Amino acid sequence: MKIVLPGDKISDTPVRMENAIVENGKTYATVIGMMDESRGAFIPLESVWYPREGDFIVGIIENSKNNVYTVSMDSPFRGLILPPPRPRFGGRGGRDERFGRHEERREIMHMGDIVSAFVKEVKREADQIILILDRPRRLTGGKLIEVRPSKVPRIIGKESTMLRQLETGTKCTILVGLNGIVWLNGEDVPLAQKAIAKIQEEAHVGGLTERISELLENKGR
Amino acid sequence: MIMGGSGEKPQLIINGKRTDGRVPDELRPIKLEVGTLKNAEGSAYLEWGNNKVLAAVYGPKEAQPKHIADPNRAIIKCRYQMAPFSSLEEHSRSGPNRRAIEISKVTKEVFENVILLDNFPGSEIDIFIEVLQSDGGTRAAGITAAAAAVASSGIPMKDIPYAVSAGKAGDLILLDLNKIEDNYSDADMPVAIAPRNNEVLLLQMDGSMSKEQFDSALQMIKKAGETITKIQRDALEARYR
Repeated sequence: MKIVLPGDKISDTPVRMENAIVENGKTYATVIGMMDESRGAFIPLESVWYPREGDFIVGIIENSKNNVYTVSMDSPFRGLILPPPRPRFGGRGGRDERFGRHEERREIMHMGDIVSAFVKEVKREADQIILILDRPRRLTGGKLIEVRPSKVPRIIGKESTMLRQLETGTKCTILVGLNGIVWLNGEDVPLAQKAIAKIQEEAHVGGLTERISELLENKGR
Repeated sequence: MIMGGSGEKPQLIINGKRTDGRVPDELRPIKLEVGTLKNAEGSAYLEWGNNKVLAAVYGPKEAQPKHIADPNRAIIKCRYQMAPFSSLEEHSRSGPNRRAIEISKVTKEVFENVILLDNFPGSEIDIFIEVLQSDGGTRAAGITAAAAAVASSGIPMKDIPYAVSAGKAGDLILLDLNKIEDNYSDADMPVAIAPRNNEVLLLQMDGSMSKEQFDSALQMIKKAGETITKIQRDALEARYR
């Protein structure tokens, strides 16, 4: 596989793919990555998270105002958790109450709480991109660490193999947000942290799974 | 040694060689390292002759303060600064001065033309360029280092720009002026170029040049650009070897 840098041509034909632009009918990379010519795939080595519907994220409740929670997640995008929709049983005094109240939530959250959620909708508001979040879950205890968003697929692994290996090896629950925030909780958090740091460092080198299982077996020693 | 000021003009070319022994179209030795700073999204450390420059890139993040945010694209904040100890004279006052503000502005404009800002409306990208030691041509060195830092950060960009200066001593066109040449030459022209299409992103000039001299200076810069681009590429690729 060949290392490709921003501005390098990756195809003579216009191809619509992530982390690439089309100029004059040719496709150029916009980030540093590896080109797998046999599959025609461009794998970024570094990239910035760009939200899509269905993405799993981990963030921190930043504000709670007008029944809406604002979630900060180490990215230029702001997440919102709206109150659950209220079933309508006819009008109540003419007021259109589409949303329920705080108290009707299953969980009440406070500023500073760690929360995991899924992106339900990516909305372009007047001044920035807003993410409507769905299925929020408050996380208690544990530890948050930052990872590079481009390394998240490596931490999760093919069909979550790497993540499962990490979880069994360290007896931790690990939630990996695609925004680059990871929540760890369980027995050997320092070991999990060590393993994740190693994955990030060596994400582009082959045989990573073996090295990580070795690290986990030796308990990081 | 005091340089600059209105002293007598030193001889810039002796026996076809320059004050530091280079021939007219020779670059100073360049050493570039990427990923120097762990906290930054992207970073680079550049040694360009006696220039030592550190560049760091952060973001994209929510633009602060809110009123400066652009609803259609990301904004770039750029800070070029010389360390108080970087120079032999002047610049000894820390904090932004007239010159630093100007260079920050032109650097920002270079990167506004290569970074895909439309992807991140309402956000900001911070570029910091810190000159630790200076010997002429630090804006070019800063742009070259910052370009490598942005490329290593994963912020999408169209191309990796480079910058270098050319100048004139008498009728002779010189590449990559150092401090003495910068102060006493008849013209000094820093240029930043996006190498893929040879787009000029920055062009400033002190002094005067004829059209032919300008053309040959630009030619020289483009030729030197191949070397600089290769150094940038090698540094970026070395991180993943």
